[in-house]
Amino acid sequence: MIREAVDAVSAGRAGGAAAGEALARAVAFMALFAALNASFRFLARRSLLVTAREVEQGVRRHLFSHVIRLPLPFFHATPTGDVMSRMTNDLTAVWLFLGPGLLTLIGTSISWVMAVAFMLRISPSLTGLSLLIAPLVVLLSREYGRAFHRQHRLVQESLAGMNAALQENVSGIRLVKAFALEAREEERFGRQCREYYRHNLAVARTSAAFHGAIGFLAGAGVALVLYLGGRAVALGELTLGGFVAFNAYLAMLAFPTMAMGWVINLFQRGNAAMGRINEFLRRPTEFEGKGVAAPGVLPLPREDATGDAGEPPLLEVRDLTFAHETGGRGEALRDVSFSLRKGEVTGLAGPTGGGKSTLFSLLLGFHPAPPGTIFWEGRDAAEIPLPELRRRVALVAQDPFLFSESILYNVCFGRDALDPAAAREAVSLARFRDEVEEMPHGFESVVGERGISLSGGQKQRATIARALCSGAPFLLLDDALSAVDAGTEREIFDGILSVRGERTVLFSTHRMASLSRCDRILVLAGGRIVEEGTHDGLLSRRGAYYDLYSRQMLARELEDSS
Amino acid sequence: MSGGEGFFLEDRVDARGVDWKLLRRLLRYVVPHRGILAGALLSLACGTVCQLSGPYLIKVVIDRHVTPGNLAGMGGWVLLYLAALAGAMGFLYLQMYAVSVLGQRVILALREEMFARMERLPVTFFDRTPTGRLMTRLTSDVEALQELLSSGLVSTVGDAAVLAGTAAILLWMDPRLALVTFAALPVLVLFVELLKKRIREANREMRRKLARLNAFLQEHVTGVSVVKAFVQEGKSERRFDALNGEYAAESVRLTNYYSLYFPGVEMFATFAVALLLWRGGLSLLHGAVTFGTLVAFLEYAQKFYNPIKDLSDKYNILQSALASSERIFQVLDSDVSPEYAPVPGPALSRPSPPSRPSPPPVLPVPAVEFRDVWFSYPRPPAEGARADAEGPPVLRGVSFSLMEGETGAIVGATGAGKTTVLSLLCRFYEIRRGQILLFGRDIREIPREELRGTLSLVLQDPFLFSGTVLENVSVGGNAVDGALSVTGVDRFASEWEAGLSTRVGERGGQLSMGQRQMVSFARALSRDPKVLLLDEATSSVDPVTEHRIQEALGAILPGRTALVVAHRLSTVLAADRIFVMHKGKIRESGTHPELLAAGGIYRRLYSLQFLEASGT
Repeated sequence: MIREAVDAVSAGRAGGAAAGEALARAVAFMALFAALNASFRFLARRSLLVTAREVEQGVRRHLFSHVIRLPLPFFHATPTGDVMSRMTNDLTAVWLFLGPGLLTLIGTSISWVMAVAFMLRISPSLTGLSLLIAPLVVLLSREYGRAFHRQHRLVQESLAGMNAALQENVSGIRLVKAFALEAREEERFGRQCREYYRHNLAVARTSAAFHGAIGFLAGAGVALVLYLGGRAVALGELTLGGFVAFNAYLAMLAFPTMAMGWVINLFQRGNAAMGRINEFLRRPTEFEGKGVAAPGVLPLPREDATGDAGEPPLLEVRDLTFAHETGGRGEALRDVSFSLRKGEVTGLAGPTGGGKSTLFSLLLGFHPAPPGTIFWEGRDAAEIPLPELRRRVALVAQDPFLFSESILYNVCFGRDALDPAAAREAVSLARFRDEVEEMPHGFESVVGERGISLSGGQKQRATIARALCSGAPFLLLDDALSAVDAGTEREIFDGILSVRGERTVLFSTHRMASLSRCDRILVLAGGRIVEEGTHDGLLSRRGAYYDLYSRQMLARELEDSS
Repeated sequence: MSGGEGFFLEDRVDARGVDWKLLRRLLRYVVPHRGILAGALLSLACGTVCQLSGPYLIKVVIDRHVTPGNLAGMGGWVLLYLAALAGAMGFLYLQMYAVSVLGQRVILALREEMFARMERLPVTFFDRTPTGRLMTRLTSDVEALQELLSSGLVSTVGDAAVLAGTAAILLWMDPRLALVTFAALPVLVLFVELLKKRIREANREMRRKLARLNAFLQEHVTGVSVVKAFVQEGKSERRFDALNGEYAAESVRLTNYYSLYFPGVEMFATFAVALLLWRGGLSLLHGAVTFGTLVAFLEYAQKFYNPIKDLSDKYNILQSALASSERIFQVLDSDVSPEYAPVPGPALSRPSPPSRPSPPPVLPVPAVEFRDVWFSYPRPPAEGARADAEGPPVLRGVSFSLMEGETGAIVGATGAGKTTVLSLLCRFYEIRRGQILLFGRDIREIPREELRGTLSLVLQDPFLFSGTVLENVSVGGNAVDGALSVTGVDRFASEWEAGLSTRVGERGGQLSMGQRQMVSFARALSRDPKVLLLDEATSSVDPVTEHRIQEALGAILPGRTALVVAHRLSTVLAADRIFVMHKGKIRESGTHPELLAAGGIYRRLYSLQFLEASGT
């Protein structure tokens, strides 16, 4: 365009008015072309970058869906900070390649092809010569690409390590403060930061060296053309104009060639990050590989079913032996067998570490129980799809976890929709209603992260209400009342007993007062069921149960006599 | 999003243009590394010289050898060209590396400073800032600065130099045509102005959405067992989708602006060249300028607008870096918890004791004393209320004292304020009114290290660090062996293969609740504290274990002051003094028989809570 205008000017230097017109036309064309070029590039950028954003969104969504379906042991083995890092930092690295990286790749490829096409028109042989460096560039890129990949992996890993240290510190901040561990934590986090710094500098070194090397190769091509092309001109094989133009195009190639270095860097980073994301995506979810029995499959007939010949027990556990994969702490449960009848309230007693929590997580399918050990209404749990299995059971865990949402949201968490009426009822049963209604926003009060604004007892009652509200017929309470006082425990227990008959309850506690009100008590010690029976029966047997609870009895008797 | 919005501190900031104060503050972090910066700039200058000598060498080759057809000696010039190139690339390497070192060092320093500041923020800050949001600040916000601090800074200096030089040359060659060349600048500036506000706002909005998305993510990874237990994967997914969609929409909006930005700037630059061509061409036709001047002008006009394009690119980097640095400085500017403030010298704050009286009649100083303490948790800054607005009072004039060597038990219904008493003693929160004294000194006058060395707390929620059992216990102090045996941790750990080196997992998740409590109990004892604070610490262990702990306490407590939030009769009975809390007040205090005889709240509590807890 510029050339045309210059031509018009030089042609019309003597011409006068006509030249002015030609000039104006050329300038107008130039402006128009600039506008067109800008709109075209706007559209290209937009479509490419927006697509990349959409891909990012899709991958994040897919990743979240996948991750929340991974089995629970995965979460025990993987620090939260690491999971977070893959879903944030690694995903960003992928986007950086797909968006800006690809955009540059496409842009530079076009410049490349066009420059080469023009060069071919001027001199095919010189073009061939100057492209001799291309294989070298490819070779170099491959070598550096490998180094980039390795180093970026380390960068992303150390970033995840930093994240994990940070995350743990924030979750345990009270402890850090209470024990004045700030200096220790700073040292720990600082170590992770410095490692990250080190790996980043390694990438920077590689990147700088790669850029320099590529730039040198591109310039070497110019030198080659200068020498050989110069000879050709001197020998009259090439015009001077052609030589100059060729050199100009070759110089145009240098920038895109160097930009390729940047793209390769981005690509390897995105690639390393995608590899880390794929490590998660490749893990089977807990729903895979489980015999998802079609609805209507008949339960396995169990010829030796214990109990009455008619209805099978709601839950039957037979010879359940289980060892955790990690930890090397031997078998957590050994030959555990018992059965629960519908509508019964069963207490689970036993010393700390006796296997109660393991049993609960097996019942929920958090860990896969061996086939043929757990039966729900005669059906092997291993054959029941997990969602169906878990919908039967409402767990109240020892560690009350609440979401940073309203109380209503938390209580209705197990339901498909918010149901204030059901929530109110559940909260009354859990003896939490008065306190909720006294709060400034009532059921709409937001509880803060992990329920920080509630007391320990309130959190526990909220989780009990959540379990009651879910409508599951089977309630599992895992030492769920440790933070409420005995009086409140009695009231909550009253609430639970009032739904006895509709709900089956398995209740672990250390309080004898509650155990004494259960229909039946199982004593789990050292991973075995050592005793089974009613409170009075067990006391009179003077066995493990008696040993455990006589102290509580004694304390009371002492008190009465004083 | 139904909830969360009112409760948490939001990170909204006012929309402004480039905030020079912010930028200056950011640049202050570069100052310690000015040597590296100078090196980078020097490399940049040397590299540019080498690079610029390339075209000159080509010209020499053409003029001296190619045009006259004289090939002798041409190889030497080509080799010189290669040498210049090698020099240019060598300097490029140095410059790129120096620039990365600079950026990474600044970021390292910034990150460590942020962390150190964060550690000293009041507990209230953590109560109200979701973990995910904090993490976003320390990771991706800091990361966003890197580009500015590394490549941005140095190349901006280079670009600015080229720009100034070109402008000077243009003005020197022909002031009138130079003004024509600059004619497009105001339009360009207007265009940039129009977009930049939007870009900055979109950028900030996007970061906010991202922080929210991450907070959700973080919470659902932490609470994944609840999601699973209630089969709510679908619901969580839908909510995540919504947040993800909001974030994506914001990022698309930003992308659109950027897509408009670069081609737009380039278009205006081309317009400027076209204008120059037109005006210059006409001048040429009138003989006002020479042909050579016009060609040179066109070359320089392009050189003039190239750095402008680059600078506008840098401007975007600057924008997003500033959006991040605002959020970073917000953390750095948050007030640290008062306990980290330097403690006023005791001589200044306390009336110096009157000339020492003869020793015998010295009244014993209580180990722990609360004097008319009023406290309310800060209300979440919802509904436009001031951020430090007070919530309903939790403690209403609490007064009690505990002598050295005594065990005090705090009893009362849930929500009576028992845990709050312990938190205040640790100075997690500042009291509104009254005074808390530790061995006769106001805790506000005791240096933090000393305060926390005196106290040892067992939290209701026994948080363990992901490390080994031994590491967790020795976090507390040096009296590890005694603490391990007294709590029975060594006994149950010895049953595991790895013993005390068994890893406890994140938050101690690999251990049972009871085991976690005992480890946290051992941790508290290992520092051999003067005052032991227990918050329902024994409520999740079986009676036999509890008994063991009670026995251990019996061995430890004599001579050591302990304040226990108790739910168990055995604990209450072991206490020297019992404080009965009711609705934020201490209503009764005394020994067990005294209180029983008095027939007040304690008697009712006793029959309701403790008797039933232990009886049939």
